[in-house]
Amino acid sequence: MTSLSAPTEPEHTETRAAVAAESAGPDQPRAGTASLRVAGSMIAAFFVFTLLLLAKGVDPVEAYRAMWDSVTRDANSFGDVLVRLTPYLLAALATALPARAGLLNIGGEGQILLGAIGAMAMANALGQAVPRYPTLVLMAIAAMVSAALWAGIAVALRQFTGTSEAISTLLLNYLAFLALGWLVFGRWKDPGATGFPRSRILTDTERLPILFGRVHVGVVVAVIAAALLWAALRWTPWGFRLTVLGRNPEAARRAAFSTGKLTASALMLGGALAGLAGMLQVTGVEGQLRPQMMAGYGFTGVLAAWMVRHHPLRAIASSFLLAAIAIGGNGLKIRAGLSAASVNILMALLLLAVLGWGTHKVKAATT
Amino acid sequence: MIEAICIGAVRGGTSIVFASLGETVTERSGVVNLGMEGSMLAGALAAYAVGIETGSVWLGAAAGMAAGLALSLVHAFLVLVRGANQIATGLAVTFLGLGITALYGQSYVSQGVNAFEVVPVPILSDIPFVGAVIFNHDPLTYLSFVAVPLLWWFLFHTSTGLRLRASGEGPGVLSAMGISPSASRWLAISAGGALAGLGGAQLATAFARTWSEDMVAGRGFIAVALVIFAGWNPLLTIVGAYLFSGAVAFQLELQANGTGISIFLLDAIPYVVVIVVLAALSRRRRHAAPAALDDVFQVDATLV
Repeated sequence: MTSLSAPTEPEHTETRAAVAAESAGPDQPRAGTASLRVAGSMIAAFFVFTLLLLAKGVDPVEAYRAMWDSVTRDANSFGDVLVRLTPYLLAALATALPARAGLLNIGGEGQILLGAIGAMAMANALGQAVPRYPTLVLMAIAAMVSAALWAGIAVALRQFTGTSEAISTLLLNYLAFLALGWLVFGRWKDPGATGFPRSRILTDTERLPILFGRVHVGVVVAVIAAALLWAALRWTPWGFRLTVLGRNPEAARRAAFSTGKLTASALMLGGALAGLAGMLQVTGVEGQLRPQMMAGYGFTGVLAAWMVRHHPLRAIASSFLLAAIAIGGNGLKIRAGLSAASVNILMALLLLAVLGWGTHKVKAATT
Repeated sequence: MIEAICIGAVRGGTSIVFASLGETVTERSGVVNLGMEGSMLAGALAAYAVGIETGSVWLGAAAGMAAGLALSLVHAFLVLVRGANQIATGLAVTFLGLGITALYGQSYVSQGVNAFEVVPVPILSDIPFVGAVIFNHDPLTYLSFVAVPLLWWFLFHTSTGLRLRASGEGPGVLSAMGISPSASRWLAISAGGALAGLGGAQLATAFARTWSEDMVAGRGFIAVALVIFAGWNPLLTIVGAYLFSGAVAFQLELQANGTGISIFLLDAIPYVVVIVVLAALSRRRRHAAPAALDDVFQVDATLV
């Protein structure tokens, strides 16, 4: 866990010392030990899930086989994991980036929906007048701007009223969900939709290119976003300042960093990443807006980010794992007749295992 | 219409009152538990299932408390023994509650319910307006009327309550006196989980009278937000809970009367009310917050 945590080489020697003092604990074991701990705790999580399945009277071998099959059956089912990884990873980055600055963004859920709404609004405004790729780029920009402004509400509430961004982003999720419902049941409702209300179906110029099977280019976009964020945090002055602000706010203030702007940039850029997830999901998978779409994706992203302590590159791995579990949940539903939400247990247990046993230092809450 | 809104505020607010009381006790000891949503879900399903299996709604309510408590013990162990981050652990516990109730609750979806009946208080329920609003409810709602002052008295007028608050205000001082803050926190977290479980029980077996997946629908999170509104004072939590559920009842009245406004905009009213009120009060409430909570909102991101 600690092998990559060499401090960056900034110009601000004073603040660098402050960061180093904060981060270098006296009792950091070697990376190998930490990896073993993570692996061991994750195995324990599977063990507990097995016990819960047994208690329900489900054959765990059959259940795990159903999950495994729905992930590995063919190229398409593995593709489904990659497709699901896309929103999870971007939502994880939307948590990880603000976390760098010491901020808690639990609003990925709503920011994803705002991205979907922004993308659809742009598509409607363009009205097929623009070729495919400019259309998609404009939709992505609209999605990111909408979601960033949505996250900006939490920034404004924090700066001007002192409201905790953890609480405000959480509550804003419900408003975003209702905004989507308002549009889909109202002015954006497709008059041709029978049964459940939904928006119009996107045209081919408004759909993402497909790589293979059902896998769209969004997965590449998400992985590039993770790499760019990692590089920006590691090598740019902005990334360094965010880290100082998160680890030692007092040092950030003494170094005369504009903490307000840093806070706003972290939360709003985080929101923009989640918004991009919404756009990619609508243009790559859904092809329309539906009332209940993408429920839980934002929260799963939060889990994925905390599982790797907000490391952007490692979030690729955690998002992949959670995506595989989520797709495996479909197998549980179809083959074992269990609720697909049952896999939330496994996701939660994995995170709890990492939180409680995977990190190198145990910080007693009572100090 | 005013009477209908007030009745709705009390009827729909009881589950949030219990959860909010639970979070108040928890946070007073210096720990935040975002797992209240999960504890409420666990309480709702346990109460519903045990109510059906045993035929006793009271056994159901007790089972609801036990289930909420059990889930909060996961939070307590990880936070107090393993030093895990409270925000992340709380969210994970809520996910755990969601998953467990989805797994075990499937066979109970839309089954016949064994529910708490409304018991009008003799004589008092005949008082105009007040009688209908306050004295015409299920037994668990009456219990919440008692629980609010009782908890206030416990926190501010007993030595256990004093220790509990001290572990939230100055755990270092407490340790220096040779008293372990973690004992108080174990007590606070488990009591909080039990109260949230009771709130879930009221929701499933007295208010909604049904079980469905994810039926708590954010009430646990609202309860956490309302603790800030109430300034960590049990007596004010009931005001916050009724404010939220009153806003819900208000918009339901508007819907019933057909104003022509989209139901989604009306549905948004309670959440907007909570956000606006929190924004208006946050600065003033900052000093009311238990001092140890300052550390909770610290995020420890790994360096890249």
